[in-house]
Amino acid sequence: MDRKEILIELKKVLTPYTENKEMLDGINEQTDLIKDLKINSANLVDIIIDAEAQYNIEIDFDAAEKMYNVGNCIDVISEKINKPA
Amino acid sequence: MISAGNDIVALKAVDQQRTQSHAFYSKFITPAEFGLHNLDEITLVNFVWLLWSAKESAYKYLKRNNPDLIFAPAKLTVQKLSILNTSKKGENAHHLYKGEIGEGDMVLPFLSTINDDFIATVIDQGDVQWAVKQIDNSDHKSQSKAVRSFLLDGLKISDVLIEKHPAGYPILIKDGRELDIAVSFAHHDSYISYCYQIPK
Repeated sequence: MDRKEILIELKKVLTPYTENKEMLDGINEQTDLIKDLKINSANLVDIIIDAEAQYNIEIDFDAAEKMYNVGNCIDVISEKINKPA
Repeated sequence: MISAGNDIVALKAVDQQRTQSHAFYSKFITPAEFGLHNLDEITLVNFVWLLWSAKESAYKYLKRNNPDLIFAPAKLTVQKLSILNTSKKGENAHHLYKGEIGEGDMVLPFLSTINDDFIATVIDQGDVQWAVKQIDNSDHKSQSKAVRSFLLDGLKISDVLIEKHPAGYPILIKDGRELDIAVSFAHHDSYISYCYQIPK
């Protein structure tokens, strides 16, 4: 799965927590989940749990705290997907 | 430099079932923190969100002095937690907790109030003013507008503008100059809260 494909799936994860759905169309790797998408911080853990289910991965303490913007989310997901079993 | 940090969680807006799953709370609550949970005093759902709101509040408080700080909830750990008192307002019981949160040698005291509807937390450092209010509309624009207006009513200083520092925290401007008042905002669903500290 390349970064573009991860981004497409990530949009689905972010959709339930994003008030302005139109903003999701224009997201890029610099988009900040809280500042730009206005996602409430109380939903950040929901997003991590949903991403784990969506990509069948486990995101630990240290990785979770990097997921504050779209690019970081893709980095973490990409690393976990491509990690050898 | 003074600071301010608060948070609010609307309990009817969170997924109560998910909150109670280990997969959820273990993302930001360490095993040592979990040892502070006393089921006779506080439900698991309230405990989890109390700790979350303490971590958010501490992050906001610290970010003012360290703009590059990244929110790392598992690293800011609650070290002490105890109930101060319980009062009744109609049918709704309000529980007031106090605790300490920190990282390494840095420790901040906090207060949290819990009722059936929300958990609100403030970093209780210095002379802090703190208030919570319910609003009618829960969209982001309404929350943002309402919490600013709520603060200005509480501050009682005329002709103050509220702007955002590039690091993301609110600042107060009067006559073109930044006021030496530290402010923090929080909103979730139909609840808003502010806190501020004015140096003595």
